[in-house]
Amino acid sequence: MASADNPSRERILGRIRAAVQTTAPHHDGPAGQMFAPVTDPLERFQKECAANITECTVTADTAASAAAIANVLASVPPGEIFAQDAPELRALVSAFKDGRPLRWSSEGPPNEASQATITLCEALVAQTGSVLVSSANGGRQATVIAPVHIVFAKLNQLVPDLEAVFARVYERGIASKNSYVCLITGSSRTADIEKILIMGAHGPRRLIVVLQTGG
Amino acid sequence: MSTAGQEFLRKAAEKSSDLVHRGIVRWNIDQYDTGVGKGKTRFADWSAARQRCHDIKWEGVNHLDKYLLQFEQKVKENGGHVFWAETGEEARQYICDVAARHGVKKVVKSKSMVSEEIHLAQAMEKMGIEVVETDLGEFIVQLRNEPPYHIVTPAMHLNRQQVSKLFHEKLGAAETLDPPELVAIARRWLRKDFFSAEMGISGANFIIADAGMLTITTNEGNGRLSTSVPRIHVALTGIEKVIPRLQDLATLWPTLATTGTGQPITCYNTLMGGARRAGEVDGPEEFHVVLVDNGRSELLADLEQREVLHCIRCGACINACPVFRNIGGHAYGVTYPGPIGSVLEPRLLGFKEYQHLSFASSLCGACTDVCPVHIELHHHLLHNRRNAIHEGTHSASERLGIKLFRWMMMSARRFRFFGWLGRMALRVIHGMGLEGTVLDPMRPWTKDRAAPAMPRESFRDLWRKQNGVR
Repeated sequence: MASADNPSRERILGRIRAAVQTTAPHHDGPAGQMFAPVTDPLERFQKECAANITECTVTADTAASAAAIANVLASVPPGEIFAQDAPELRALVSAFKDGRPLRWSSEGPPNEASQATITLCEALVAQTGSVLVSSANGGRQATVIAPVHIVFAKLNQLVPDLEAVFARVYERGIASKNSYVCLITGSSRTADIEKILIMGAHGPRRLIVVLQTGG
Repeated sequence: MSTAGQEFLRKAAEKSSDLVHRGIVRWNIDQYDTGVGKGKTRFADWSAARQRCHDIKWEGVNHLDKYLLQFEQKVKENGGHVFWAETGEEARQYICDVAARHGVKKVVKSKSMVSEEIHLAQAMEKMGIEVVETDLGEFIVQLRNEPPYHIVTPAMHLNRQQVSKLFHEKLGAAETLDPPELVAIARRWLRKDFFSAEMGISGANFIIADAGMLTITTNEGNGRLSTSVPRIHVALTGIEKVIPRLQDLATLWPTLATTGTGQPITCYNTLMGGARRAGEVDGPEEFHVVLVDNGRSELLADLEQREVLHCIRCGACINACPVFRNIGGHAYGVTYPGPIGSVLEPRLLGFKEYQHLSFASSLCGACTDVCPVHIELHHHLLHNRRNAIHEGTHSASERLGIKLFRWMMMSARRFRFFGWLGRMALRVIHGMGLEGTVLDPMRPWTKDRAAPAMPRESFRDLWRKQNGVR
């Protein structure tokens, strides 16, 4: 928008510039360590997943990962599933083949009625048991629309803490390459009625991480 | 007293004697306190977290021009639009224009307190646009035609019976006291709205200068759907929300979650920097950011109160406040309840009408103790009181009263005499059986409280007797 269409811009900026000529006093205090360092990321990730209600399955190789995904899908009601179109997931396609319709992200966004979505992720965070996804992981809706979201990740995607995940975001340009990035921690929930925790508000009721250590 | 002030007193009196309401609020805040207490134990050093949050917000607020321009440039490079609105009216107009240009008929909203502040939904509804709140708490209060009760938990004042009745009446749902079923009713109802709305409106918890992105924090996923499915995404936020760097969120996200709800981190922390890019599967076609001033730059110019702009809207001060715990969120009659609102609203809306909010506090300082960004809230309440007096907003009778009080207090002899006179007069009045009647000068205080009997002797008399001083 040209500044002519928005004369308030200069007025607001003018007032801000005049105000910040003088800096406000700073409250000084000790700058200690906020969090104890994460020593065993895999153990911590599993512990945090259990606490935030993410189903984490650690697998040794591709065959075990395919079996783990097939096992989850067996509990999902009939209907279409959606998957991020990525070579890693194409390699696991045997796991999805139980006769149900499958839609790849290359065919467009998921249908609203999708029963489950399967995506990769940008990183996993041990400190909080979180999954970092971006629009590159099958789009924005791929990681929120269905009642079940399955994430397939490799061990080298696991970082110890939030500081480390932001270092990775900068290093790999995740925030500049994508219009959308989301740090997911557990499945969708609400406590808006009497502070009672209910799973599955508007997003997935189940979040499953299949974390492959080898292969 | 102003009309708003009288209304405040009336509602405060009504709500503080509503035992059902107090029970619900007490239950909610007890749950919150337990969660936050547990949440803080996850930190190796909570004071370090507060210090870092203060440092980040201080840096952003004290270099606001630099970081806002950096943010704006990045958003524009990515094809987004940034509009600067001096007033709520300008912000409303801009968003309504965008909606009109695209023939928008339905808007889905995720939580935004700024949209409440500028009364956006009402303006859009006037244009014939359907505006649907999608946060469960917001959805509930919208169905009740109420403003949010609390900035984090908008329906904190309702129990499941009330929600069930509401869903039955407004949505035709079968009555149920099962909370998961109540949530499921809202999910099913709102799903069709996410997919039929042309525009999604969100707020922003932070805007990040170096990334040109903004972030919203939600648990339900409604914020994600609102900004992923509709064709247009409008993000509405105050200019003070800017932070310098993306990695600042490694500090702010867990701290906001802890003081907001007691969670280690909120379920969905979403970063958005624009519309759908080439090669992306989905996302909106247009992305607009509306930066709202609406009095904030004046607050910035006040060095004494500038730090009020550090607020990250976590709600901790509201939950800690004994005034809020007794009168609830609606009695304040403003967008932001509790201590932060009692500091902010008189500044934004004018001392003349709203100074009473700064006076309605015991100045106990519980708010300052819990603030994750170190805002000295109770001192700012005092600053507001002083500033209101300097503006001459108080009545002639109040001025005279304070003058007389000062005159009495400035001399030990006068103090002694009036103390004796007061005790005597009360004894006589009460002795005549006039206690609690309109002739009782203590009536305004004692009508809701039991006062102890007036002692015959003052502290000074007792002291003299015990120490043998004559």
